[in-house]
Amino acid sequence: MAAVNEERMQATEQLQRELKSLTATVEHPNGLCTVTASPRGEIKALHLHPALLGQGPRAVGDVVTETVRLATNAAVQTSFNRMALALGDGMAIDVESIAGDSPFRSTWNPVVPPKSAAPEAPPERRPRRPVVEDPDEDAFFENPFGRR
Amino acid sequence: MDDDVERAARKVRDVEQAVSEHVTRSGPITGRASSPDGAVTVIGTPGGPPQQIAVSAAALRMGPQGLAAEIMRIAEKAQRTANSRLHQTLERVVDPRELTELGIERERDEDEFGWRR
Repeated sequence: MAAVNEERMQATEQLQRELKSLTATVEHPNGLCTVTASPRGEIKALHLHPALLGQGPRAVGDVVTETVRLATNAAVQTSFNRMALALGDGMAIDVESIAGDSPFRSTWNPVVPPKSAAPEAPPERRPRRPVVEDPDEDAFFENPFGRR
Repeated sequence: MDDDVERAARKVRDVEQAVSEHVTRSGPITGRASSPDGAVTVIGTPGGPPQQIAVSAAALRMGPQGLAAEIMRIAEKAQRTANSRLHQTLERVVDPRELTELGIERERDEDEFGWRR
């Protein structure tokens, strides 16, 4: 029994060490900003693509803010996953009931695709194939699913 | 084990309620920090990602690497300020040692010129 408790203590300490040093790196969907953040929202690394600066100061601020948020969420989610691996799903669900839902559960599809500035071009219209007049013609092999 | 979890959850709920009432009175807790020349301004939150990062037009001349370094520096400062404000707000309802253990540390006060009191 004492050995089991000792093992549990060691596993918990190991988990605490891992969680303290855990980070996640996320690239913004536009590919112009990459952030490494801790689960506490600390920015550990930040890379800005030169093209981002060409979009103006407001875009830089917004993109960096959004990327830090995504990286922090990813780090929190990784913490939940590590905890579930070490302590089991049951304990992870208990922790969620105390600390709140994991980002994966609470923010489904957090990135909203940007609206395109110009309306999308209509798909190119392809002329229909002429309908075969003669039913004995080898129409099946031209249209194996029988769709006209 | 279930009892332990239930007890912990109850304690968290009680503290959460006390904290929530306290924060309702004091307003949202954030920390604001800016570069001396106003190039970067960050509104930080305690224990979370920055609420807002604003960059001036002049800051773009720093280049991607210089600007990234400045944003990191100011964001860290803003979060330290936010943590410190949260610590000061909560130390009346939560043991300050527990707050420090959670990473919510209280800074020594700085005046507007950066001198520590």
